[in-house]
Amino acid sequence: MGSVVEIAPLTRLEGHGSVRVYREGRRVERVELQFIDSPRLFEALLLGKSFAEVPEIICRICALCSTVHKVTALLAVEDAFGVEVSEVTALTRELMLQAGMIQDHALHLYCLVLPDLLGVRGVAELARVAPDLLKTGLAIKKVGNQITETAGGRLIHPVNIRLGGLGRSLTRNELARLRDELQKVLPAAQEAHRLFNTPFPFPELPTPDFLVLQPAEHPLGAQACSMVGRASFPLRDYRQHIEETVLDYSNAKLSRVHGKEATVGALARLNLHPDLEGGAGALFKSHKQELVGKDMRGNNLAQAIEMYHATERALRLIDRLIELGPRQEETAAPSPRAATGCAACEAPRGVLIHSYSFDSQGICTMADVITPTALNQGALARDLLALARGMEGEETNRMTTALERLIRCYDPCISCSVHVLSL
Amino acid sequence: MRRMKLAITGLTACSGCQLTLLNCEDELPELLGHCELVYFPLAESGNVLDVQFDAAIVEGAVSTPKDLELLFKLRNASTHLVAYGTCALFGGVAAMNNRVSTRRELLRSVFGAGEKLPESFPPVPLANFVSVDAAVTGCPPEKQEIMELVVALAAGTLPPARSYPVCTECRSHENLCLLLEKRELCLGPVVQGGCNARCPATGIVCEGCRGPVREANVAQELELLLERGFGRDEIERRMSRFKPEWDYGKRS
Repeated sequence: MGSVVEIAPLTRLEGHGSVRVYREGRRVERVELQFIDSPRLFEALLLGKSFAEVPEIICRICALCSTVHKVTALLAVEDAFGVEVSEVTALTRELMLQAGMIQDHALHLYCLVLPDLLGVRGVAELARVAPDLLKTGLAIKKVGNQITETAGGRLIHPVNIRLGGLGRSLTRNELARLRDELQKVLPAAQEAHRLFNTPFPFPELPTPDFLVLQPAEHPLGAQACSMVGRASFPLRDYRQHIEETVLDYSNAKLSRVHGKEATVGALARLNLHPDLEGGAGALFKSHKQELVGKDMRGNNLAQAIEMYHATERALRLIDRLIELGPRQEETAAPSPRAATGCAACEAPRGVLIHSYSFDSQGICTMADVITPTALNQGALARDLLALARGMEGEETNRMTTALERLIRCYDPCISCSVHVLSL
Repeated sequence: MRRMKLAITGLTACSGCQLTLLNCEDELPELLGHCELVYFPLAESGNVLDVQFDAAIVEGAVSTPKDLELLFKLRNASTHLVAYGTCALFGGVAAMNNRVSTRRELLRSVFGAGEKLPESFPPVPLANFVSVDAAVTGCPPEKQEIMELVVALAAGTLPPARSYPVCTECRSHENLCLLLEKRELCLGPVVQGGCNARCPATGIVCEGCRGPVREANVAQELELLLERGFGRDEIERRMSRFKPEWDYGKRS
């Protein structure tokens, strides 16, 4: 007899989602992954708004990733109007991206994943059973947030980064304070991999088709998308390579790249860009066996290594900013023209693409945003089915726990995914 | 002291208000000792709704039947219902086009014609459907304000409402006035303060993310902006970013 197991709402992740497992006796027939956040229709809201308003509005897609949405939107608008920014502005933006990586990975690992490893309900129980671990995680997270708040003027939906420049550049004292704070958490960030290297006690999953941006050395200058085993394609042509389908059971559209379910994010980056600098590079080498060519069960370990990498990289960026010295930069005021701009960044969860068209007055006539969670949705659904099938006959409870843990490996951000894809 | 039972969740929103609570890294461990997070899907598993809550802290606007169902459940189950953030209080960014385009047009332009459209109506504040006992505004809210709220709830009371505009804090910090001195489209005079004028402090105009201050002199702001050469369309578009309806004739 057929039966349906529902996990709703999905917990310890951003947004509203659910999973349904359809079974015929013991056999798993299919698995439905639903992203059911209420659609907010940003691309439609942006039409008719001025170019200057676009980055300020679009960052509200998602709180967790608001910095990278804002930076990507600024880059896309600047691309449309041919605006160049100074080195200080570019460094400050990249510093904020690294800070976002630190805060986002720390939040996910220490507040959302750690309860699974310790067998507790969530952050409240963590505070009782593992207060020191939680405090360590919160301390790392806090430094990411301090950078964002100092450089961005506000922690979520930062305001200080703007078209063509900065509201104000950071003072030497501010930079020195941030450097000290980063140095304090560096040892903890370096050790995080030990905690999140815990083996995942469930069956093997399909090998992912990783997708990343290139070149990795220029986080603000992505030119192409590269997929394992495929020729890379220019960012500008992304529409020809990424197809989307509307699903009748989910508010997010399904994206396929080259007809495959792409996997983006930390594990994808470490697989395709394994040449990390500094201590994180050495750390990655010692974990290669668990990461290269592996399935998504390795993603939390990859996030831990990236968190350390972002901490180191943020320190280098700050050193460079201190070297350049504080200066009040002239903001390059964009002059609007009829044009289309496109930009992409590696968000904590993976490839994020923004594209906008403007008329000669700078009024937005097209907006398109491809988010990492929308890209990952197909691979996540595929893995859920594989995992459920691999656990046929096991207790339902054990299976649903495993499915939830798998979803947390992907670290989905559902409010990003559900309303930002236009046809 | 008895630990208070809390529900914390989001409707049509970006999770930023809930994240603001988790961003209180220094206070969080102690705070968690004072409350029981009975329903908080963002950070807890094993959530239940069929208990009596001391307070439900709800982020986001109401725009779907599912939002409404959850809101009614929480209202019925809670002693206090808190509208948490600008979307819950005023509709927020998702509501900015409520007066200029229909929901169906917006849905069609995103999900395509002929496709099955998600069930959705124009996003509106919680208070359009239920009574609201307390509010924390902001997109996102200030950490300090959510802490004030939780501490007040734990003490069995509610925090005082603020009733001064962004300009009050902005002037006391002696920031350059972007509206009068730089002739930019700053909404500080009509927008609720409490944010320490974060944006003007970095040289960026107040975009109005905290919604209207009590007794806002909207007509005067409109006149000031018109005098500075901004078009009525542009002004209304900017004013609507976080709250679609303003009474442009209102003088305090």
